[in-house]
Amino acid sequence: MSISTSQAADRCLGIALIVLAAFCAAHALSLNVPFSYDPVGPKAFPLGLSVLLGVLSLVLIFRPGLNGHWPDGRLALKLCAVLAMLLIYALLFSRLGYAISSCIVITLLARLFSASWRQAIITGVLMALGSYWLFTHGLDITLPSGTWLS
Amino acid sequence: MFDFLIEGFSVALTPLNLGLAFLGALLGTLFGALPGIGPINGIAILMPLAYTLGLPAESALILLAGIYTGAEYGGRMSSILLNVPGDAGAVMTTLDGHPLAKKGLAGPALGLSAVSSFVGATIAILGLTLFAPLLARVAVMFGPAEFFALMVFAFSSMAVMMGKDPIKTAIGAVLGVMIAMIGVDSATGVMRYTFGMPELFDGVDFVVMIIGLFAISEILLMLEHASRPDDDGKLPPLGRVFVSTKELLLCKGTMLRSGLLGFIIGVLPGTGASVAGAVSYTTEKRLNDKHGTFGKGDMRGLAAPEAANNASAAGSFVPMLTLGIPGSGTTAVLLGALMLYNITPGPTMFSDNPEVAGGLIASLYIGNLVLLALNLPLAGVFARVLTIPRWVLVPAIAVLSFVGVYQLHSDLAAIYLMLIIGIVGYLLRKLGFSLAPIILGYVLGGLMEDNLRRALAISGGDVGILWQSGISLFLWIAAAALLVLPWLLPKLMAGRKTGTA
Repeated sequence: MSISTSQAADRCLGIALIVLAAFCAAHALSLNVPFSYDPVGPKAFPLGLSVLLGVLSLVLIFRPGLNGHWPDGRLALKLCAVLAMLLIYALLFSRLGYAISSCIVITLLARLFSASWRQAIITGVLMALGSYWLFTHGLDITLPSGTWLS
Repeated sequence: MFDFLIEGFSVALTPLNLGLAFLGALLGTLFGALPGIGPINGIAILMPLAYTLGLPAESALILLAGIYTGAEYGGRMSSILLNVPGDAGAVMTTLDGHPLAKKGLAGPALGLSAVSSFVGATIAILGLTLFAPLLARVAVMFGPAEFFALMVFAFSSMAVMMGKDPIKTAIGAVLGVMIAMIGVDSATGVMRYTFGMPELFDGVDFVVMIIGLFAISEILLMLEHASRPDDDGKLPPLGRVFVSTKELLLCKGTMLRSGLLGFIIGVLPGTGASVAGAVSYTTEKRLNDKHGTFGKGDMRGLAAPEAANNASAAGSFVPMLTLGIPGSGTTAVLLGALMLYNITPGPTMFSDNPEVAGGLIASLYIGNLVLLALNLPLAGVFARVLTIPRWVLVPAIAVLSFVGVYQLHSDLAAIYLMLIIGIVGYLLRKLGFSLAPIILGYVLGGLMEDNLRRALAISGGDVGILWQSGISLFLWIAAAALLVLPWLLPKLMAGRKTGTA
């Protein structure tokens, strides 16, 4: 990771933040209150923040700092896999129910963090059932039982 | 004037609250000891579950404060044994802690850090007891204009003190305040930044925010730590478990000085454990490092940041309890937790909710004793936690995060929002941002706007009210001085040098 790519990352961030600031300012300006006793209104504070963010982003563009190491190709792929896993968990959570979806996702996540299949499956089954018992009986949380199954 | 403390002890000594203080200390130490999970992540993950217990406000706060102080204790383990700081506050602990462990003195190092944590925390809790009611008495005179000025001061002290990059700290705080703007505007009923999505009408939920920002982004970061070659997850042998009296006596001055220093730094709004650790370490190094032993396994180099860390953790309760301004990222999370109970901490809390303020302070005394008693003999057991493989830890965090957010409203939209916040949090951390300013901005943003608008409503729109009173004028000048001095001082010094040359 060279200094120049790190600075490029900060410059990109600065530009993105200026776009965000402009968008926030535009949205704030579109807020209209017909009548109010409040002399400030809902506009002023977000508008001020947008200006502040814009100024700070400009400073960032002209004086970019250092940032961390970005993941290389293989790691980025794994990162996407973990994100996909979390998304799948969210999608299955209410459809397959807590116990089954957790069991599947825990097993696959453990695999992604380099457990063997045996370790992963044991972890998945034990953790899913154990936590289900703890959450429902210990903490009285209502967990989804699965719309696809009922 | 210590009535609140007597009432506090009567609250904290009930069997339920005593049990919760113990449970919090235990859970906190365990979570803090987990590799890569610092105090703030620990609280973020455990807080939603603490809610489901249906506890009254003071009991919930006692539990969370126990977790907080416990996690500060536990955080040192991975610093000393694995050279991996659990959070920013523990970075300084690695400098002398890990060399000690390499010398075969891991056990005494853990014992010493437990004792110095205890000493630092005790100094700070005494300071909190004496100082908080006094400050609360001053703070009663604060109106909306003074609070607004105080928050400006808090943000500028944070921008200067926290993190390596003041610009990024400031941007983080502004982003946090902007997230707080989302939702219906309470004064006028106008929808701001909701884009017509009903899920956003009430704003971004506090629990969703902290779990996304801390827990989910941590999962993504752990993937990188896991593939680092230098991390073999092996523990060095602990050696003898107890620290000797001679070693303790060698460090007594260090502990007392660092504890006091840590408390003062903790009280300043916006500056937390990381600053306290760094300042006390460099101070002790300057005072005591006559043979160049600091950084190579000097006991005093370990005692200093540990005492200061824990002192600043307790010290940051002072501005949180008396002014409603958190002194650190973690107290910002605790403040948010209190707001969920409809308690806004502030100067009136000592008179309106003495059971909460006093109960919390009393429970800190108890928790501190419990922690010392747990940590000295059980250091070896807690150290085992470090060997938990990531393939168990990560799925567990994922499950706790999902259930913690789901139980709020049994709503999947909150889970998607949590994932989005987590990805943004991960990117920001990769870009060199620290998360504490974001969470401070998020917690303080709404209060800041409220106070500004209330002040201007009182004055009928005249901006002059913001700096009319002596207190607010002082705070504005202090804030400006904080922002300008670090930039101006080196230039003045350089100017003097060229002048004499």
